[in-house]
Amino acid sequence: MILPILHKEFISTLRDGRLLLLGIALLLVFSGFFLASAYELQQLRQEKQVVGKTAKEQWNTQSVKNPHQAAHYGIYVFKPDSPVAAIDPGLRPFTGQALWLEPHKRNLTRFSPATDQVLANRFGQTSASFVLYALLPLLILALTFNSVSKEREQGTLRMLHSLGIPAKELVFGKFLGLLTAFTLVLTPVIALAGVFLMQQFSFTLDDSLRLATLVLVFLVYYSIFTALAIAASTFFNSSRITLFCLLGFWLGCMFIAPRLGAFTAAVLSPNPSANEFWNAIKQDIAQGINNDGNHEQRAQAFEQSILSQYGVSRKEDLPVGFVSLNRQFNDAYSSKVHELHFDRLRDNFKTQQWLSHVASWMGPSLSIRAVSMSLAGMDLAHQRHFEDAAEQYRHYFINLTEDWDRERSHGTERSAKGAETDWRSVQDFEYQVPTLKFALYSARWELLILSAWLLIALNLLTLSARRLNP
Amino acid sequence: MNIPPAVLLAQNLVVNYKQHCAVEQLNLSIPRGCVYALLGGNGAGKSTTISTFLTFNAPTSGQVLIEGESPHQNPKLVRAKLAYLPENVALYELLSGFENLKYFCTLAGIQLTRDQAHSLLLDSGLQLDAHNKRVATYSKGMRQKVGLAIASAKHAIAMLLDEPTSGLDPSAANDFAQRIRAAADTGMAILMATHDLFNAKQVADRIGIMKNGRLVEEFDALSVQHDELEQKYLAHARGLA
Repeated sequence: MILPILHKEFISTLRDGRLLLLGIALLLVFSGFFLASAYELQQLRQEKQVVGKTAKEQWNTQSVKNPHQAAHYGIYVFKPDSPVAAIDPGLRPFTGQALWLEPHKRNLTRFSPATDQVLANRFGQTSASFVLYALLPLLILALTFNSVSKEREQGTLRMLHSLGIPAKELVFGKFLGLLTAFTLVLTPVIALAGVFLMQQFSFTLDDSLRLATLVLVFLVYYSIFTALAIAASTFFNSSRITLFCLLGFWLGCMFIAPRLGAFTAAVLSPNPSANEFWNAIKQDIAQGINNDGNHEQRAQAFEQSILSQYGVSRKEDLPVGFVSLNRQFNDAYSSKVHELHFDRLRDNFKTQQWLSHVASWMGPSLSIRAVSMSLAGMDLAHQRHFEDAAEQYRHYFINLTEDWDRERSHGTERSAKGAETDWRSVQDFEYQVPTLKFALYSARWELLILSAWLLIALNLLTLSARRLNP
Repeated sequence: MNIPPAVLLAQNLVVNYKQHCAVEQLNLSIPRGCVYALLGGNGAGKSTTISTFLTFNAPTSGQVLIEGESPHQNPKLVRAKLAYLPENVALYELLSGFENLKYFCTLAGIQLTRDQAHSLLLDSGLQLDAHNKRVATYSKGMRQKVGLAIASAKHAIAMLLDEPTSGLDPSAANDFAQRIRAAADTGMAILMATHDLFNAKQVADRIGIMKNGRLVEEFDALSVQHDELEQKYLAHARGLA
């Protein structure tokens, strides 16, 4: 019985001029945002490639100098963006694009596009994903709000009722029919994005899987809105009341829930200011953590242990460079403190993300945004993954230069030298972008909330069928 | 004397809407092949009676039966045995008459071939060139014809008509009356709520007049002339009877 209802709803929706009009408008708006975003991504990739190559070349061609001095020259590494980021740039406008790797200190990412943009851009800061998670649901609500109430008002529901159509089959038939029609409208949008991305970017299998999963997750999201709209249309007798309620829900989802979530997170788990953050690190390095003693105490203990290790009484008599050894010791301690504070900061980001879920009861939009960002590789988890890999690389290249410095000097001399062959022997930063599995795992709670919303919406649809009076 | 068994039967039917009594102690019996016209002003209880047979509302007391079974206890009866034609046959504007017929019939469990569907529409008086036009372009009379085709396709044993000729021009109303008569002649029991005295006299076998939820008078259509029927109706409407 559901099939003919599905077919009829599908045909009617396609014949409804509103769908075509809104579909074309949607395609145009999406294309505009998507092409702008894809262009920006491509520019950014090229810039990263050029700057990265130049910075590496400058590193490679350093003159003969002390290896530690060379390390201070530093290396820039860049977070590679997935092509899917053209659809959802996620946190990119707010997180940095590059990490400056240098001795002694772990840096935060630099050059966030939001801080580089001209003021005018801030008024038009909308992405292709905004069209998908905010505007398309509005289109669905605009076309679905009277799907049942209109039948009630026009009398066709009485005709159907007189034929003894089971209410549940009628509402589910409508649900599937409308969803099929929306999917058809969405198809050119998906096709446009897919073909363009494949032509313009090197597309890996993982990128394809991420894109396919994104489409699937958005279909679930649209199912939620379609089911809720039909349930409301069945529940309320008047189309006008249904429209008001659904618009209220949409506004709550899109604008109130994110604000409420951000406010809850900021109040319950505030971030330290940049000043507080760096001062705390400085203080912990100076004073020590876990009863390690202050800087002087640690330095004295280290000197004693090295002297006894090499069986000498003065550091000047050491067969290896003490300055480098001491620096490595201090850097290791500094890294430990940095890691502690960075982990705390990032755990706080995670807590904030958790707290923002409190507002998810207002609608599924917060969750879909998080899932979309994760699938585009532009969320906190992916940022953290990149930063950790970059930090490992920093350890690798700093330790390498320190090894050269230590092995090529004696006692307290600072005579070690390195040359171009050394600089060129430093391996490039080869970042392994995490797979789809990582993205799904990091978005597991949001996926769970989305599934819960789907269940709620389908249950409301079933319950509303009981109120389907002619 | 043999009393034919009733297809549509109302026994001591009472329907209340909150404090208001819409139908009060109504007894009706409509056998096969009989057209029963229920006359009465607005709020007399005619449409409520029809709605109760269709299970759109439940009886407060008493019962309605279709071939001896209660549609409220067995709603599938409504689907299988009744055809319904409201005052404004509600069809889907974006579908053609042909598509509407196919859709409603499919939902009623009737699979029509293309030829059968066209044939039903033609038999109901809808011209071939209108079959594939969208219903949004149809006149009220054309919609009634599609409604009639749906009712015919069901092979229902009873048909419920709620002000079927309201708003039709005289020619269309006459045409419609003939089709209703023809349907009754095939053995269908028909209950028709109407304001149209002329149509009632023309097509009905029995006529009942309702007022304030009560069936105040009932007689054979052949036993009264047009003038007499009009006088009876007006007398009840003005409270003179």
